[in-house]
Amino acid sequence: MKFGKRLKQQIQETLPGWGDKFLSYKELKKLVKLISSSCASRMMMNGSLEYGKAEAEFVYLLNNEIDKFNAFFMEQEEDFIIRHKELQQRIGRVIDTWGPNGSQPSEKDCKEELGKIRKDIVDFHGEMVLLINYSNINYTGLAKILKKYDKRTGGLLRSPYIQKVLQQPFFTTDLISKLVKECESTIDTVFPPPCDVISRQLVLGSQKIGAAGEGIFRNTVAALLTMQEIRKGSSTYGRFSLPPLSLPDQSDVIQSQLNSPIAIP
Amino acid sequence: MEARPALSVQREGAHPLSNCGAHSSLPVLRASLEEKYPKFPGPVLSSLPSNSGAVGHLFSSSSEFSTNLHFSSVLPHEEHSASAPFIPQATNTEASVRLAASSQYVNENSEPWCIDPLSEYLDYSLDTPVKNTQLDCSNTGDCHIPPEDLSKQSDWPEWANLIMNDDDALSNWNEIMVDTGIVDAAEPKMQYQEQNQPSNFPAHQGQQLQQIPSASLETSGIVPASSTASGSSSKQRMRWTPELHEAFVEAVNKLGGSERATPKGVLKLMKVEGLTIYHVKSHLQKYRTARYKPEASEGSEKKESSIGDLSSLDLKTGIEITEALRLQMEVQKQLHEQLEIQRNLQLRIEEQGRCLQMMFEKQCKSMPGIDASAQPTDAVQSSSNKNDPGVSLVDHHEAGDTTQKTVGEKQKEHEREDTSSSNSPPSKRAKVDE
Repeated sequence: MKFGKRLKQQIQETLPGWGDKFLSYKELKKLVKLISSSCASRMMMNGSLEYGKAEAEFVYLLNNEIDKFNAFFMEQEEDFIIRHKELQQRIGRVIDTWGPNGSQPSEKDCKEELGKIRKDIVDFHGEMVLLINYSNINYTGLAKILKKYDKRTGGLLRSPYIQKVLQQPFFTTDLISKLVKECESTIDTVFPPPCDVISRQLVLGSQKIGAAGEGIFRNTVAALLTMQEIRKGSSTYGRFSLPPLSLPDQSDVIQSQLNSPIAIP
Repeated sequence: MEARPALSVQREGAHPLSNCGAHSSLPVLRASLEEKYPKFPGPVLSSLPSNSGAVGHLFSSSSEFSTNLHFSSVLPHEEHSASAPFIPQATNTEASVRLAASSQYVNENSEPWCIDPLSEYLDYSLDTPVKNTQLDCSNTGDCHIPPEDLSKQSDWPEWANLIMNDDDALSNWNEIMVDTGIVDAAEPKMQYQEQNQPSNFPAHQGQQLQQIPSASLETSGIVPASSTASGSSSKQRMRWTPELHEAFVEAVNKLGGSERATPKGVLKLMKVEGLTIYHVKSHLQKYRTARYKPEASEGSEKKESSIGDLSSLDLKTGIEITEALRLQMEVQKQLHEQLEIQRNLQLRIEEQGRCLQMMFEKQCKSMPGIDASAQPTDAVQSSSNKNDPGVSLVDHHEAGDTTQKTVGEKQKEHEREDTSSSNSPPSKRAKVDE
C-alpha cells in the first residue's frame, strides 16, 4: 500500500478543491483484489465469461477516472490560459505606467503593484506545476493499478490501455509546460536581480510566504518528496519502473522546509 | 449561425431511443464505433463518484457487460462509451468488427438513463438545469425541478411556469432560446439541447448520449482553430489554446469589452469551426471572473498579505518577501523539472515496451517453428545491451519466468549505472533495428 499511502498524503496536502479529482487508487485496488480472488477460485477457462465481465467493469471504472482527470485538467488548463494572458497584460500596464516612458512617478505604488504581480506570478507558476504533478501522479497510479491487474488476473490489459492513456488530454501536458517556462522567463523581468546568500538565510529563518503561496509551497515540497519516495525502489522493480530520483543540491532547502512545517506562517 | 449545419447533420442520423417513449424529440445518434479512439471521450459524468463501482451511473447495468466480453481489453473505452461524446460526423477508420460489436452494444444496453445521477449536475450552469428538467420530465413522467436550480437560472426566469410537461417545456424552450439570442428553429435546437447531458462544469462539455457508444472521438479532445475535422460536434469539451484565447480576447475587445460582449457576438467574430456558443459562454464567464476578481480582492489583501508590508516601505521585509518568493519559485522549478524528466522516462518506457512487443510478434510470425519462449530472451538481451534504463519486456504471457528474472536483473544493473545520467534522455534511446 506504499503508493496508496503516498497518494493519500499528496491528496491531503493538495490545493483545496483538488482532493477528489485524484485517482481512486484504493477502490481500484480493492476491485482488483476482488477480481483476482474470484477468478482464482474458478478455472480461467470455465470462468472466462465472468472474467470478461469483471474486466469490463474494471475498465469501465478506469474510463470514468480518466474522464474525471480529463475534465478537471482541461478546465484548469483553460483557467491558466486566461490567467496567463491577464498577468502579461498587468505587467505590460505596470511597465507602461511606471517604466521609463511612464507617466506615474510614484514609486510606492509601483513597488506595491510589482509586489502583487510577483506574488501572483509565483503562485500562478506554482499552481501550474502542481497541475502537471497531478497529471503525473494519476498516470503513475493508473500504471500501477494496471500492472497489478495484469499480475493478479493474468490479463493483458496493461499495454494497450496505457497506450491510450498516454494520449489523453490530461497526460499531454505540453501546453502547461510551455506556459510554465514562459512564466519563468517573465519572472526574471519582474524580479530584481538575485540577492546574496545572506538574505536567503534570512528568509530560511523566517518565512514570509503569503497565505495562498503557503498552500502551494507546501504542496510543491510534498510533491517533490512524494516523487522521491515513490521512485526509491520497490519490490517489483525492474520492468516498467523508473530509476530513483536524483534531486540537485538544493534538496537541503526542501528538507529544511519539511523539518519545520509550522515555521511557515 | 454556424451551429446550424452541424445540427442538420445530427438530425440525419438520429433515431429515438426505444424506451424513452416521451422523448420522441430526443434524437439519439447512432454513432458507431468507427475510430480507434486514442482519446477517451468527453468528461461526462466525471463528477460521479467512481469509487462506488458505477452506482447510479447512467449506463447499463453490469448485467449487460457480458455482451462486451469480446471487446474487453482491446477497446477499453469504447464499450463503456455510453459516456462517449456524440459525434455526428463519422470518421471512419475503425475495424468493422468493432462497429458491429458496438451496434450490438447499443441494442442491448437499452436501459434508459437513470435520473438520479443527473441531480448531481443540477447546480451548474444556466443551461444545465434546463436539460435536466427535460430529462426528468420525459423519464419519470413528473416534472420535478429542484427549486434551487431554478433560482440559478437568471436567464430563464419563466422556467418554473414553463416546465409542466414535455410538450410545453419543449415549446417554451424555443421561446427561451430565442430570448438568449440563439435563434434557431425549435426542433433542431431542442434536440441539440437535449442531447447535451448535464455536465459537471459550466463548460457544458459532458456530452452524453445515453446509449451511444460513440465513436469518433476525435472531436472530443482538441479543437484548435486550425482543425476542421470535427467541425460540427456539439457539446464536446473544448481544449483551449493560447492562440484560440487570443482570438477570443480580440473578438471581445472588438465588441466593447468583457462586460458588453455577448457569447453569440464573440462566436460570430471568432469564426472558428467547431466552436459552439456553449464553449464561448463558459469561457467568457471564466474570463470575466479572472479579470474582476483580482481587482476586487485588492482591498482585503492589503491587510492580511505580507505584501502589505511593502507599502510601509520596510525594506528589510521587502527583501525577505522577495526572497521568500524566490525560494518558492526555486522549489517549484525543481518540481517541474523532475516532472518533465519523469514524464519523458515514462513515455520512453512505454514506447520501447511497445517496440519490443512488435518485434517479438514479428519474430514469432516469421519463425513459427521456433519455440516462443526463446524469443523474448534474445530480444531483451539485445536491447538491454544497449544500456537503456527504461527498457523492459512487455508483460507477455508466453515469456518464461526465468527470462523475466534475467530481464529484471539486467534492468537493475543498467538503471543503477544510468541513474546519474538519467537527465540526458537522448543517449538512452535503444534503437532495436531489425
